Amino acid sequence: MGKLLFMIRKEFLQIRRDRAMLRIIFAVPLAQLLVLGFAANLDLENVTVAILDQDRTAQSRQLSEAVLQSQPFVPGPTVANRQELQQALVMGRAEATLWIPRGYARDLAAGLPSPVGLSINGTNSASGGKAGSYLARIIQEQGRLQAEAAGAPAAATAPPLRAHTRFLYNPELVSRYFMVPGILVILVTVISALLTSMAVVREKEIGTLEQLLVTPLRTGHLIAGKIIPFAILSYATLALATMEAVLVFHVPIAGSLGLLAVAMAAYLLVTLGGGLLASTVSATQQQAMFTAWFFLIFGILMSGFFYPIANMPHWAQLLTLLNPMRYIMAIVRGILLKGAGLADIGPDLLRLLAIGLATFTVAVARFQKRTG
Amino acid sequence: MKRIVAISRKELLHILRDSRSLTVAIAMPLLLVVMYGYALDMELKDLQLGIMDQDHSPASRQLVRTTISSGFIVDAGRPAAREEIEPAFRQGRFQAVLVIPRGYEEDLASRGGADVQLLVDGADASTAATVDNYLQAVLGLTGQRLRVQSGGPGTAPGPQPVPRILFNPELISSHFIVPGLVAIVLIMICALLTSIAITREKETGTLEQVLTTPVLAGQVILGKVLPYLALGSLDAALVLLAGRFLFGVPMLGSLPALILYTGLYVLVALALGLLISALVGTQRVAMMLALIMTMLPAMILSGFIFPVSSMPLPLQGVAHLIPATYFLRIIRGLMLAGRNWYPMETAVLAGMAVFLLAVAIRKFRGRLD
Repeated sequence: MGKLLFMIRKEFLQIRRDRAMLRIIFAVPLAQLLVLGFAANLDLENVTVAILDQDRTAQSRQLSEAVLQSQPFVPGPTVANRQELQQALVMGRAEATLWIPRGYARDLAAGLPSPVGLSINGTNSASGGKAGSYLARIIQEQGRLQAEAAGAPAAATAPPLRAHTRFLYNPELVSRYFMVPGILVILVTVISALLTSMAVVREKEIGTLEQLLVTPLRTGHLIAGKIIPFAILSYATLALATMEAVLVFHVPIAGSLGLLAVAMAAYLLVTLGGGLLASTVSATQQQAMFTAWFFLIFGILMSGFFYPIANMPHWAQLLTLLNPMRYIMAIVRGILLKGAGLADIGPDLLRLLAIGLATFTVAVARFQKRTG
Repeated sequence: MKRIVAISRKELLHILRDSRSLTVAIAMPLLLVVMYGYALDMELKDLQLGIMDQDHSPASRQLVRTTISSGFIVDAGRPAAREEIEPAFRQGRFQAVLVIPRGYEEDLASRGGADVQLLVDGADASTAATVDNYLQAVLGLTGQRLRVQSGGPGTAPGPQPVPRILFNPELISSHFIVPGLVAIVLIMICALLTSIAITREKETGTLEQVLTTPVLAGQVILGKVLPYLALGSLDAALVLLAGRFLFGVPMLGSLPALILYTGLYVLVALALGLLISALVGTQRVAMMLALIMTMLPAMILSGFIFPVSSMPLPLQGVAHLIPATYFLRIIRGLMLAGRNWYPMETAVLAGMAVFLLAVAIRKFRGRLD
């Protein structure tokens, strides 16, 4: 026990002495959470719409007003003809254009469908599609009200099936609430996996690992001494980042933080074990970093952090079953946003634990073979 | 010239010898294209829908049938009671639940319309909005069909706009992502690898050895940069070819213009890498700095995925300091919209290149003397 404490103290001394590294450990993740939390935002905001109103009636003006006054649309450049309207879209001055042709109000009064031209910049497939359906819905709803005002019977204008939507857990659909817990998982992963692998390889690179091995320390002590400080640091990052998530981003915490800490322990088995494993297959810090980085990028992309797993083709969905990050993402989001309890996250937690134990065992076995 | 070639050959040997880093540098961009093209999509594929039919009537059963037979929707279960819905959401088994209330058939018959309820898991706000949009559209169409069946009017008065989508009419995400990946890959290779290549020689002390030879400092730097320029161009070409032949990404603009703009962007990326290597002494710090100064901003703040216009104003300011922001606008506009001329973006990128190179060279002089 005394030996172990010595190892841990040594590791902490080393961490404390490297000022640049210390800054990277604490300041960088928190700053990243701040920037990412504000930037990683798919909610549409400030979508510029250029409108060409050739009808110039009270109704057509009302329609333009209705579009420009609803979130997230803002007025784009003023245009005089259809060519300029098209040009605004090509030159990127407007994200969407609406053309209200002459005769809009007349058709409306006659109870006819009144054509309008709606064009969207679809370059960004996700936001383009969303903006298009929002705009279509606003125009349709406004047109329906106008048709009713013009004397069309409600039975003809009202949609026959009206669906009332209630969004659970996040009634205002703030995508930040979903992204911030995901970023938190990524930060903990980077701290625990990357730093562990680099700490071990560094001792290899400068030759102090051999020195440690000739001391009466057992391999178990050595591993525990390397890993425990980074586990503690990971928990510290987790706590700080959670505080930031609540205080800065107002992420609601619906579930138990104790359960979150327990689930995180299972995940740290994976990341600390993975970092150790990366260190046994790398000779230099650059290699360790590249290896860890490679797995990190694909781990993040296949975790459902941003691209929902349900949208992937079947083979890719099967691949994600091997990805530990997939489970911790679902667990953290489930606990924080939906108040999931042990019974809800049980299956995911068990799979995570299995992957964690397997990774850790392999890492320790390889480490012993290498060093012994 | 000979000296530059000699230095380049030496650097090329370094690259070829570290086979793992080389593999990562070449495989990573290709894997990213394949993953983004085939697997990663914001487009809905399987919507896990639970249906709670409280009406138990022929009409409600018909609604259930038409709903689950429209594409994309997966019948994820039939909760019998309200209490069963919450746990299923918490465990992630449902994305949405359609509740058909008691009296549905009666309402349809008596007033020609009925109300239903949608419960949507809002935790993932972006997916939730898509799910809601899609289900609303399905129910809207079903309702329209019901009305026609019962002898009502087929078209309603008022505008029924169908959005016309330009530049990417089928909203294929790979057409959006592949040009963006060129920007990411170029900054990754040209800035990240260059910065490490020079700091490595500093760390191991071989930079001094090279500088004691009659080779000039400028020649050393140029020689070291050239192989990474080649590697970066190779990667960019691979990404574009893979995008073209695997996913049919269009190329509407002019190819020489694309090459010219890319060259300008590469210049900025190399200048950034040089500046980092001039500022720091160890690989570890160079790597971290390169990641924070180039990779992350290029991926997150440039509009690669997240629209710049959706960011808060201070971050929009930061986004306009990032070279990738301008290059993304150029390459997407060029390939997808066929616009060839970008005076503002070109001026900004050229200004950045001149400024960064000037600072980097000054810093280097100070260090090397």
